[in-house]
Amino acid sequence: MKFFCLILLVSALPAGGQRGNSEAGNRFETGWACYQAGEFPEAATAFKQSAQVLPAAGTLVNLGLAEWQCGHAGAAILAWEQARWIDPFDARAEANLKFARQVAQVDAPPLKWFETASTWLPPNAWVWLAGGSLWLAVGLMVLPVVFRRRNAGWHQMLAALAFGGFLFCLTANFGVVSRTQIGFVLKKNAPLRLTPTREGEVISTLTAGEPARKLRSQGRYLLIRTSGGAGWIEQSEFQPVSAR
Amino acid sequence: MLGFNWNLPAPPQIPAAAQAQLQIQQPTVDVSSPVTASAAFDPPAVRPGEKTFYRVNVDATESSIQWPADLSAPAELKFGAHASGQITQFLGSKFRSLTTFLYEVRPTAAGHFTITNFTVNASGQTVEIPAACLDVVADNSRSPPARQLVLETSATNVFLGQPFRVRVLLPASPANEIEALREIEINGDGLMTDKSAMRQSIEVANVGGQLKPVFACEMTLTPIAAGPLKLSAQGFTAGREFAGPISIRGQVNLPGGPAKYVLLVSEPVEIKVRPLPAEGDSPGFTGAIGKFFRDPLQLATNRLRVGEPVQLKMAFHGEGDLTRFVPPAPPRSRDWQIIADPPPATSFTLIPLTDETHETPVIPFSCFDPAMGKYVDQTIPPLPVTVVGEGLPVQLPAFDDAGKSAAPLKLSGLAPLPGKTVTNLKPLQLRGWFVGVQLLPAAGFFALWQWNRRRRFLEAHPEIVRRRQARRALRREKLKLQKAFEAGDAVAFVQRAADAMKIAVSPHFPAHPQALVGADVLAQMDVAEPNARAGETVRKIFAAADAQFSLRRQTQADLLASKSDVDAVLSKLEEKL
Repeated sequence: MKFFCLILLVSALPAGGQRGNSEAGNRFETGWACYQAGEFPEAATAFKQSAQVLPAAGTLVNLGLAEWQCGHAGAAILAWEQARWIDPFDARAEANLKFARQVAQVDAPPLKWFETASTWLPPNAWVWLAGGSLWLAVGLMVLPVVFRRRNAGWHQMLAALAFGGFLFCLTANFGVVSRTQIGFVLKKNAPLRLTPTREGEVISTLTAGEPARKLRSQGRYLLIRTSGGAGWIEQSEFQPVSAR
Repeated sequence: MLGFNWNLPAPPQIPAAAQAQLQIQQPTVDVSSPVTASAAFDPPAVRPGEKTFYRVNVDATESSIQWPADLSAPAELKFGAHASGQITQFLGSKFRSLTTFLYEVRPTAAGHFTITNFTVNASGQTVEIPAACLDVVADNSRSPPARQLVLETSATNVFLGQPFRVRVLLPASPANEIEALREIEINGDGLMTDKSAMRQSIEVANVGGQLKPVFACEMTLTPIAAGPLKLSAQGFTAGREFAGPISIRGQVNLPGGPAKYVLLVSEPVEIKVRPLPAEGDSPGFTGAIGKFFRDPLQLATNRLRVGEPVQLKMAFHGEGDLTRFVPPAPPRSRDWQIIADPPPATSFTLIPLTDETHETPVIPFSCFDPAMGKYVDQTIPPLPVTVVGEGLPVQLPAFDDAGKSAAPLKLSGLAPLPGKTVTNLKPLQLRGWFVGVQLLPAAGFFALWQWNRRRRFLEAHPEIVRRRQARRALRREKLKLQKAFEAGDAVAFVQRAADAMKIAVSPHFPAHPQALVGADVLAQMDVAEPNARAGETVRKIFAAADAQFSLRRQTQADLLASKSDVDAVLSKLEEKL
């Protein structure tokens, strides 16, 4: 009986994934057709739904294009950043970001060295690499002893390399975690307030697509730090890159 | 786009001379003639307790007359409600005001009563009000009762602010002549009269149980105070001077000659006005009381751009008074600018302020249904719309360092495929389950280390392994022994018992079990036991086992009876393992 249930579970897992893929694919095609027909709001909705079901770099690139056509520079820049978050090698997203930032007169988010290193690979690749290199190093040190094999020189060399790789991946992973706090202003002239209230004094207004770092949240407001200073912004007007 | 045309054409100008001509041709208002007055009882003769009216006419404006608060009259005449009114009468070539003071009088005793003459001040002149006489007789069949108006109301139990219709009827005179009514007033506190929807007609109505031709005037009243209210009507008879359009049903006689202006009043009617219930007050209540229905909403278009106005039309109809219908007030919305169109239109101009809105704003509205006695929600529901924002450039000119035009910067095309996917944008580093997965290799290495440690320990202590193997083999042999016993196979029983004993003692030597004999078993037993019952059992078993290999097999079936002894021996040997 248990075996039967296990078989059912194993067979259901890919089926559920396939259903999600199919739904995302259908909406992707709908968005494509709407975009080609010039119905950009409908295209943006379809691409957004597809990305919510299954985030994909191409879908997010297209979502950014549709949002740009609708005049939503902030949402477009966020979508392209998310596309690069999934696939740092996506040339379309990179080119569109460059173009959009030139038009919208906004800068790319300033990154620290370990954050820059973390952009070389997709975020999840770093964590698998870190885990693999760590346990490879541990295995190379432990397994010859356990299995009474001679601890060869190449074992030690490989273990040292793996441990070095682990240390590097560790910093890159820290960069990934740090980058999750980076987000983008979605709305044009979004007010940055001194206090997290609707009546809070407006320190400045932010441009759509302007990058900022989320520091903490309180109620419906987020404390963010921009290049111009820190302040509170409504949650609906700001979205971190790693949020769906 | 909405806009106002400030360059309206100027109205046609009337020349100054023409204006003067118009003023000259209007009849003058006579204020210079001496003020005269008349007074009389109507009817002049009544029975005791019967109602009569004391009517005083003064040809001056009402505001110019300083009328006394109390009149000097015989004690037998009880004065009731009084009314006063003013009308402008047209006397050939000029206008002159006529004011009437009317008192309801009921005599309490028979006799001849006189209200003596008295003076009042009117327009700075002293005017004498002549005396008026009333005969009160027990038998007064000759004199017809005084003419009165009849007031009919469509409802006597209404809510505060609920409009209701009233009809003022002037029955035909005894000569069956119909007269018009002018300067109709509804007397009573807490009432608002709406004459804008006044309708006049001449028809046949039931008056006092008799069908009579009447002049009817219908208007709308709105109570503005709660509680019991008394209302009555008054008006001047005006002959053929009908004001405004009138519908005539049936055959009527109209009086000839100049109009005779007589102020008439009606009997008071009492209505009960209830306040609107406070509980259940719906948002958007603008005072609309009645049964209203709304036609389907009409939106000019459902696809619009930011800043582009669109008109939302709604039409209300129903049983209530629509003349005072106040459409819902425009609510405040973050995404829409809402402008109420000027009345009588019940429509709104909506301007989307953002393209993130997907439906028109909800406009709260409710009305009070007096029939149900509760508020009815008539909120304008949202309608789905698509708002398109302002687009952004998709291409930029580019220049190289020399200032020459280079390939323009532009957006990429659509990605043909979804491309690389992830299950979630949240990285694995921040997911709890991934930390759990990282513990699996650690657990594997720990298990491997423990296994290696155990293995080394057993290598250093081989007797532990031998004892464990012996215990395992002994358990198997005991099972076989039990089966042989249950099958009654004495030969197998003896063989299994001997093997089991050899297995149980083998780790102590150490030696292979098949290399041991009964003496080895006895050697591992306690010193006292070889000669005891256990030792006897061991000897017997091994003797029987050895006998099986001899030529004459003498296995005795009674050895099966020593099963319990064998078990006891095996238990003792097993304890030492």
